Amino acid sequence: MDDVVVIEAILGSQDDPVLAERLHAISHHGVVEVLFVEPVDLPRRRFHSHTDRGTACFVSLPRSAQLFDGALIHLEDKRAIVLRVGQQNWLRLRPSAGGAMELGYLAGNLHWKVRFKDDCLLVALDRPIDEYLARLADLQSTGKVSVIE
Amino acid sequence: MRKNGAARVGIGGPVGSGKTALVERLIPALHRRGIDLAVITNDLVTHEDAERLRRTNLLAPERILAVEAGACPHTVIREDPTLNMEAADSLDRAFPTLDLILIESGGDNLASTFSLDLVDYWLFVIDVAGGDDIPRKRGPGVIQSDLLVINKVDLAPYVGVTLEPMIREASTARQGRAVLCTNCRANEGIDAVADALCAAVLYQPA
Repeated sequence: MDDVVVIEAILGSQDDPVLAERLHAISHHGVVEVLFVEPVDLPRRRFHSHTDRGTACFVSLPRSAQLFDGALIHLEDKRAIVLRVGQQNWLRLRPSAGGAMELGYLAGNLHWKVRFKDDCLLVALDRPIDEYLARLADLQSTGKVSVIE
Repeated sequence: MRKNGAARVGIGGPVGSGKTALVERLIPALHRRGIDLAVITNDLVTHEDAERLRRTNLLAPERILAVEAGACPHTVIREDPTLNMEAADSLDRAFPTLDLILIESGGDNLASTFSLDLVDYWLFVIDVAGGDDIPRKRGPGVIQSDLLVINKVDLAPYVGVTLEPMIREASTARQGRAVLCTNCRANEGIDAVADALCAAVLYQPA
């Protein structure tokens, strides 16, 4: 456990010009490690994980902190750790003219995370897609919702 | 005060599955590991579980807070966990060296889940007397929890349950994620649960 890096704050974004310059320098004379987090785990504030270089990390953030893709979470002279969020897959659904209310009700009742784009509802896939399609079977069979992709 | 406060672990599950019994067993198990602890209980419209815990004298009474949901228990651990967040914040302020806060939900159904805004890790307690088909029903609590606990395993022969297939089905439904068995009455399996939640959310230098 001696080599565990304890992460207790988000130091900034890798896109911040000052931090970006620092990271660039470290990448030349040290190492920039990446800690991967799945989208579904992004709200967590206490967890153990390992970077792509095998460094053990214990994340213990303030309750007000929110991890994000590109967050700089550790900085030394010759080592930095940046958070990378796995790809969020989405299910694109298009309701028929009479199906939107029912689809909205279903998505809310099942606590799905959604976004709206054009005339479609995008559902964040935090679990296997079959679990979502099973809940949509009735709306699909009656033509009230089409699965676009 | 510990930087960033204590870790928060949720304990959910159906009515009568043994959530409070598990908390009663976890308290001494966690104390033996040197963990500074407090508990928040959730009930519908009473402080029943908090009073039950206080009567055990396992924790100082002021380390046990009660939240009254007033409605479906999942509303205060998922949709709007503000009451529980405030209770946990107040425990952090009152006990600056706290390592861990256990948040026990009121008894609910298989769809009950915790918001990760409230907890860092959560377990879901079912029991064999509730039926060996519960894992097959694939409720969100069973599927999404970080740890599934199957309690009252000692009752299996008396309620027509064969434990091994139930565990296997639970593990399959959870795609291999952790499943542990307990018999809270006899204090069996408790250390494994304590170890699992410590390993998940606490930093314990060698």
